[in-house]
Order: sequence, then C-alpha cells, then structure tokens
Amino acid sequence: MRVLACSRIMAAAAALCLLAATVVAQQGPPARRTNNAPPKPSGATPRTADGHPDLTGVWNGLGDNLNGVPNQIANNGVIIESESSARDLHNGQPVAVFSRNTNRGQNNEEGERAASLLRRSGSNRPIYKPEYWEMVKYNDHNANEEDPSNNCMPAGVPRGAIPSYISQHPNYVMFIYPGQGGLIATQTMYRMIPTDGRQHTPLQELDGTYTGESIGRWEGDTFVVDSWGFNANTWFDQIGGYFHSENMHVIERFRREGNTLTWTATVEDPDVLLEPWTTTPRVQLLNPQPNAMLPESQPCSERDLAHIVTKEHH
Amino acid sequence: MTRVRINALLAVSLCGVALAGPVSAHHSIQAQFDINKTFSITGTVTKMEFINPHSYLTLNVKDADGKVTKWAFEMTGLAGLRRAGLSRADRGGLKAGDELTVTALAARDGSNSGLAQELKMADGRVFKLLAEPNGN
Repeated sequence: MRVLACSRIMAAAAALCLLAATVVAQQGPPARRTNNAPPKPSGATPRTADGHPDLTGVWNGLGDNLNGVPNQIANNGVIIESESSARDLHNGQPVAVFSRNTNRGQNNEEGERAASLLRRSGSNRPIYKPEYWEMVKYNDHNANEEDPSNNCMPAGVPRGAIPSYISQHPNYVMFIYPGQGGLIATQTMYRMIPTDGRQHTPLQELDGTYTGESIGRWEGDTFVVDSWGFNANTWFDQIGGYFHSENMHVIERFRREGNTLTWTATVEDPDVLLEPWTTTPRVQLLNPQPNAMLPESQPCSERDLAHIVTKEHH
Repeated sequence: MTRVRINALLAVSLCGVALAGPVSAHHSIQAQFDINKTFSITGTVTKMEFINPHSYLTLNVKDADGKVTKWAFEMTGLAGLRRAGLSRADRGGLKAGDELTVTALAARDGSNSGLAQELKMADGRVFKLLAEPNGN
C-alpha cells in the first residue's frame, strides 16, 4: 500500500461544486442563473377537457425542487438578487451576504458558513410554542443526525414542495418526487390525490403517514391540495430544525401560468406552532424539452454519518 | 497565504453560480474529509454503486504483506463520470476487476475511506473527477 500525503485544496473545493452539480444533472437541463428570483412565465396555459389548467408535465426546468432554484432559501423568504445582494421578501430589508457567485476570496469553510447563515436569515419562519424552542434549536444544531431527509427518509409534506412530475386525470392527480442525493439524502415519494369530491377521513381514524391523506379541489384556476393524517417524522426544511406533530394540517396551492408553476403551503399545527405558517412561494419551470421524461432516481443508502465529525448542517 | 491556498478560495466560491445558493452538500465536505490531506492508493475495483446521496467506489487493496483490505470512496455520480470521460460509452465504465489508483481526500475519522478526486487507470489514463469552474 502506498499512501502519499499532499495538499490538494483546489480539488477539494471543486469537489464541493461537483456534489451539488450532480443533483441537477440527474434532473434535466439546469438553467444558468445568478439569482433566485422567480422565473417569468411564457407561453399559453394548456387546459384539460373539463376546463381546468393542465398541470401535467415534468416540472424540473430549474433543477430539482428540494435543493435547486428555487431552493431552501426561498422557504425562508430570502431572495438572492446578485452576488453581493440579498433581501428578505417579507420585510423588504437587505440581508448581509458574503460574496457568493464569483471567484472572490472565500475559503471553503467560510463559503459553507455563509450559505448556512443566509439560509437561516429569512424572517418567514414557523413560530413555535415556547416549550419547543429548545427542541427546535437542538434539531438544528444536530441536523446531520436528526434531519430525517439527511438519512434517506422521505421529505414529506410540505418539504417536498413542487413535484418533479405531475399527471392530471379527471378524478385524480399524480405527483412524483424523485429521491435526491448530493445536497440531501431522501427517497422517492409519490402522492395519488383524488379530485372526485370525496371528503377527508376523520383525523383520528388515520394512521399517520409521510404524505398524509391528500384531497384535491379547484378554486378557480388554483389547484388546492388539503392534507392531514401525517406522521411526525418529517421536517419543513433542511435548515432550522422545524419539526411538526402528527396533527399537522397542510393546504397547498398550485397555480400554473404558461411554463411556470407556483406553489405555496400553509401549515396549521396548533400542537406545536403558535400560529399557521405559510411558505414563501416557489416557482418552478416546466422542462423545456417537449418530450422530456422523468429519469430514474437512484436508490438512497446513507453511509457517511458514521464518518462525519460535525453535527450541524451547512 | 500560499498560492495553493488562494486557488482553493477561488474554486469554492464558484460553486454558488448555477444553484444561486446552498453550497452545502448532504454534509459539509469538511465534516467528513480533510481538504488539506490527499492520498493515493492502488487497488482492484470490487463495486461501483450509483446511489444517493453519494455514489461509492469500493476497492480491494493489497498491502505489502499481501493482506487485502476494503477501501470505500465517495465520488461523483453518473453525470459526473460522464463529464470526466468515464461513462460506459466512453470506455466501458468503471467495473469490477479494473485496476486503478485513486487519489482522494482523506477521511477525518481515519477510516479506510476518502473523497475521490482522480482515478488513474492501469493503462496510465487519468480521469479527474472535478467540476467545471462554472459548477455545471
């Protein structure tokens, strides 16, 4: 065995980019962007025979929905306007940022810290009851181990956000969320959402699941998905330690305009939250290739945690 | 600050371009690997697994006494291998039985593992597993 020790910082730094880029490459053509502003819609909005907007399509034109653009930062309401400018969407205030998008001096660790701080800086956060503040903090500080989606479990709702594939039928809508790696470790998730007018099962009769019991309806041109019956095993985001109870109720709204799909979710969870929380809207682009297919997602097997020497997500 | 150090700073700051944000991985690179310590090791491929969150290359490595140990290298996925010129179409892919030398960042916990940076095949060809500067 021959072991040579030498300095290869450049390679290490580039590898960080590689891990991030791989996710997008698996998902389809990523758009080159220097900010996370919502894309502007173009083209007509197709409609189904019953007159509703047709949401059918491969919705990964900006890369994956869990970690691409719009990314986790958007959930906190921080918009990145340029390499040196970010702003909180809710209070309009500028957010201090490190230079991020160009080759300015910034070492690896500082770069990771800068991104981490930015993702924690938005003002749009779920507000927990005081007795859970320490728990939220503990989760965030120990997210490498505590975050279920760092260990190959499903992202759940609302963290799954916009599905990468939607198939709309007269009496149901199918959502598929491919499993992701690179930036996250989560397995494939799907939801079959009835739109036939049925009502929810009483909450106490439901066994909690990762995506809950989801029922869809149309409010004008907005597709509303009402879900409850969750387990308490998922988080709202990768950053923040935001957990929920099994009595969580989520109302998602999807609106298609041309080649864009806008999503928000309102979370009601009076067991742990002081008030309902609504995510900052995310906007995804339709895959620009008319014959786009959803690629197979790789299975998820987490092997790094045993070797990791830090506790906090960066 | 050395020149090497400065180069590193330049490289990492490019990561945010396409994603406009999180340069974080499933875990921080430095949470698991020592970015100041690389090593090279020669062995036989036993497994190439394209899995989330990171693909893994497993080698059998024979030491001076003839004892064989297993080494596991985290590495890029299919898209990254294609960019590096290592896809099946390029050269038959990476497969069990291939002899190669891996240059990798060392694991901080001292385990028989690393983050693969470069593969040198038995015929001398070298494949660098690095991202393009624009992060794509």
